[in-house]
Amino acid sequence: MRLKVHPVLAVCALLGLGAAWLLPLLRVAPNRLMSGEPVYLASVLPGWGWSLVLPVFALLIQPSSTGGTFNKQPPNAISSQLRVAALPLLIALGLASLFWLAATHAQQVAQTQSSLTRTSLGAGFWCLVALAWLMSLDAVQRLSASSAARSGVLALVAAPTLLLLAIGVGKDLSLLKEYVNREEVFWLALWRHLQIVATAIVPSILLGLPLAWACTRRSGLHQWLFPLLNIVQTVPSIALFGLLMAPLAWLALQFPRLSQAGFSGVGLAPAVLALVLYSLLPIVRSGLAGLEQVPVAAKTAALAMGMSERQIFWQVQLPLALPVLLPGLRAAVVQTIGLTAVTALVGAGGLGSLMFDGLFSAANDLVLLGVLPIVLLAMLADALFKAMIAWVQPIGFSDADASATPLAQVSGRIR
Amino acid sequence: MIEFQNIGKSYGGVRAVEGLNLHIELGELVVLIGPSGSGKSTALKMINRMVDHDQGRILFEGREIYSFDVRDLRRRMGYAIQSVGLFPHWTVERNIATVPHLLGWSKESISQRVTELLTLFDMAPELFRQRYPHQLSGGQQQRVGVARALAADPAVLLMDEPFGALDPVTRTALQLELKRVHQTSGKTIVLVTHDIDEALLLADRIVLMNQGQIVQVATPLELLSSPASDFVLDFVGRSDLGIKLLSLKAVEPLIRQTPAPPGSPTLAQTASLREAVAILAAQGSGVLSVLNAQQQPVGSLHASDILASHAHVRA
Amino acid sequence: MFLIQRRSLLLAAGLSALLAAPLMAQAQSDTLRVGSKIDTEGKLLGNIIVLALQAQGVKVDNRVALGNTKVVRTALVAGEIDIYPEYTGNGAFMLGDESNKAWKDLRAGYELVKKMDFERNKIVWLEPANANNTWAIAVRKDVATANQLRTLDDLAKFAAGPGPLKLAASAEFMERPDGMPAFTAAYNLKLRADQTLVLAGGDTAATIRAAAEKTSGVNAAMAYGTDGPVAALGLVIMQDPKGAQPVYAPAPVIREEALKRFPVVASTLAPIFKSLDAETLQQLNARIQLEGVDARKVAGDYLRSKGFLK
Repeated sequence: MRLKVHPVLAVCALLGLGAAWLLPLLRVAPNRLMSGEPVYLASVLPGWGWSLVLPVFALLIQPSSTGGTFNKQPPNAISSQLRVAALPLLIALGLASLFWLAATHAQQVAQTQSSLTRTSLGAGFWCLVALAWLMSLDAVQRLSASSAARSGVLALVAAPTLLLLAIGVGKDLSLLKEYVNREEVFWLALWRHLQIVATAIVPSILLGLPLAWACTRRSGLHQWLFPLLNIVQTVPSIALFGLLMAPLAWLALQFPRLSQAGFSGVGLAPAVLALVLYSLLPIVRSGLAGLEQVPVAAKTAALAMGMSERQIFWQVQLPLALPVLLPGLRAAVVQTIGLTAVTALVGAGGLGSLMFDGLFSAANDLVLLGVLPIVLLAMLADALFKAMIAWVQPIGFSDADASATPLAQVSGRIR
Repeated sequence: MIEFQNIGKSYGGVRAVEGLNLHIELGELVVLIGPSGSGKSTALKMINRMVDHDQGRILFEGREIYSFDVRDLRRRMGYAIQSVGLFPHWTVERNIATVPHLLGWSKESISQRVTELLTLFDMAPELFRQRYPHQLSGGQQQRVGVARALAADPAVLLMDEPFGALDPVTRTALQLELKRVHQTSGKTIVLVTHDIDEALLLADRIVLMNQGQIVQVATPLELLSSPASDFVLDFVGRSDLGIKLLSLKAVEPLIRQTPAPPGSPTLAQTASLREAVAILAAQGSGVLSVLNAQQQPVGSLHASDILASHAHVRA
Repeated sequence: MFLIQRRSLLLAAGLSALLAAPLMAQAQSDTLRVGSKIDTEGKLLGNIIVLALQAQGVKVDNRVALGNTKVVRTALVAGEIDIYPEYTGNGAFMLGDESNKAWKDLRAGYELVKKMDFERNKIVWLEPANANNTWAIAVRKDVATANQLRTLDDLAKFAAGPGPLKLAASAEFMERPDGMPAFTAAYNLKLRADQTLVLAGGDTAATIRAAAEKTSGVNAAMAYGTDGPVAALGLVIMQDPKGAQPVYAPAPVIREEALKRFPVVASTLAPIFKSLDAETLQQLNARIQLEGVDARKVAGDYLRSKGFLK
């Protein structure tokens, strides 16, 4: 029987095989500070596990795409849909098994060696997770369901692993030990991180949107505003935070009321100020682009019908600018989530403080404890925005309607 | 209803409109026509203050337009433009309901009005009200645009080259529809166009402008039969003046009671003389059989009668 | 249109102040702002101060792990924080009297810095701990055994001679006159650029780890006298027979006006700091660095075990 191979999946699967074989799944270190000895998947896999490798590999690289030269079946046939859905399921189970293997080994180590010994997830594990994510993304794209359903399926890939985590499997892994050691601090840091992001984004929008609107009214403004914002964007974040400390401290000294309210050269003030400055460029730029692509005819008609300028802005310009504004806002939010990590250096707290704590005390898993939530937050924000953007797209643009001839559209007496 | 008293407007030293005096009666369909740069669009836009005049006064329903609150003034006038300007993010229903919404109408009255207008324009309400502009053809979009302009039952409807962007077939259909709407509603309409045939078809009175000034104000028939100058003559089409005149005349008065010979080509009773001549020429016949709405012959039309009736037209 | 801009600027400022308000602590006169340096011992001592004072009913604004020495000291002098744990030996550098022999003795050094800082900056140095957290150089055990390195003298000869020696250290250590330069002066220990690896941050865990894992050829590390992981990671500290380093005894430093507002601070912290000797500090540091327990928990457990906290 001819083996059909899907190129993208095959490459990923091959890389996965390479990662599983050549990179360590785990690292066992005598204490938290050392890097540890590598432990490979090959040594952890039970005997019967070997017999699964080849069939799983073969299944993974099967094309589940429909139509074209591969398949004689019509695009939305049930069996091909099932085949597409099977891949994420396979990946989900694979991830869970990998995690379970790692967790079990960690447990063994914890039981047989000193309490200081740490088992960390190694490069091999993370590579496999990344590849699994890529393959799921690819598989999910070909499901002909709504984007919400697709995101759901994608989230489900992580579900079995999360379930294992929830019931306590993996508690001997170094990453989880770090979490347990500073559980309270972690949640406080996470909450703080979100607060910082929100405190920066809201003023950016309130400042950025009117600036964008001002640019549509006065052509001169846009000529010096954008170069200024571009320059701000290029200043390295740590430098900007540092540069803001002195003037803000001076301000706090000059106006005691400010310092009583908590304003100072360190902490939230320089962090939020810098974050707002960084977010302005994407917001103003996409706001301006959005406002500029509002059809002139619509604005003229609105004016001629007796709408006030404010009504025109809120009812016509802003809704029509949203499909362009929202991607810019999404960029700003994701960027801010990442940059907030650095604000820990000026004492603002957040997940970055865990990260730097780990960096300075040479504990890699503590760094991961800070970084992984940041990455997940960014991915979550990205997905939320994607949903919002899909929601504001004019209805029917993705339908067959838009491409149908006028004749096909109408069933009434009009031509 | 609307009165221009010695209106003038300059754009940086260039006089766009000069010494404009015009009186528009209630229920009239007045067409402003002229070559590019004649000031016809400017004159129209001065009515709803999209352009503000420098000199003179414009009176709307007896009041100087500057004494109105500008938004209030605009809500009392419908405005339809060539690019339509429908709001892409709103349904047809919400688009049409724009001004009623601004005026605070109740949901039921709005819904009723939308149904009324869609029916008026021969668009099945239940099929079209939830559609979005990008799901409509060009002709449908302009219909919705005009419906939107009429939604709050304005005192006057202003139209700036509304059919210019449509294909000839759709354009003719919409022109006929507008004529029908005007006849049934009795609205005052001021329409700007550069298409003389459109003007001749629709207008009660035509205002021909050139370089910011009025050259002639007349009914279509008057304009064709007694043009005020060579410019007017050239503008209306010196060479096919006769044909144009024919399209303004109905078949009715020239019908003979005697039946046409069998096998003669047929013509509807409501047709214009221009259509009659076209069929006569195409079929190579001298007589047409005229049919009524029920397709029954009511008489005959002879080519010789047509030519005789036209003899007095100046070449 | 400008009205909209001005209005939304005000709105923006107002909203962010509102959002930020729960985050920014009330820096009112009934709160004591406790800071500390960003290294392990700093966090330990900072949290000890926070917990001990909170138990006494003092309202504390926790600004532990604020930044490096310079940042924290500047914050104290500027009045942005009220109290933080500092080292007596640092006084030599901060107050510009490095050559004074008093620094080589714990008590003498303490009295000197106490006098000078109060006179100049109205900053009060409270009772110190009986430990010397001085800078030291630790070398891999195998290298030390193979080359019979026991003191910094041996190390100096080794560095100048066959080598290979590569030291991982922080920028602060390399630059401050009482750091590397002091060793150079006392032992003629000179390291070329290719013999040093400068790391960011002052935490010795990174330098010790670098030496333990031979990262980039490193086989020696900057360390502190009270460091936990040195022995556990297979390093041995080079002895300092000539006493090149001043004594660094940890002590809380507080602004005079803050002490006037909270007189209970002195009497609460004195016995606690007295109980912290070198061995105790090493154990506590090891708990934080090797076991990975959070500094606050370690501080709390210690205070409870000694009865300072219920």
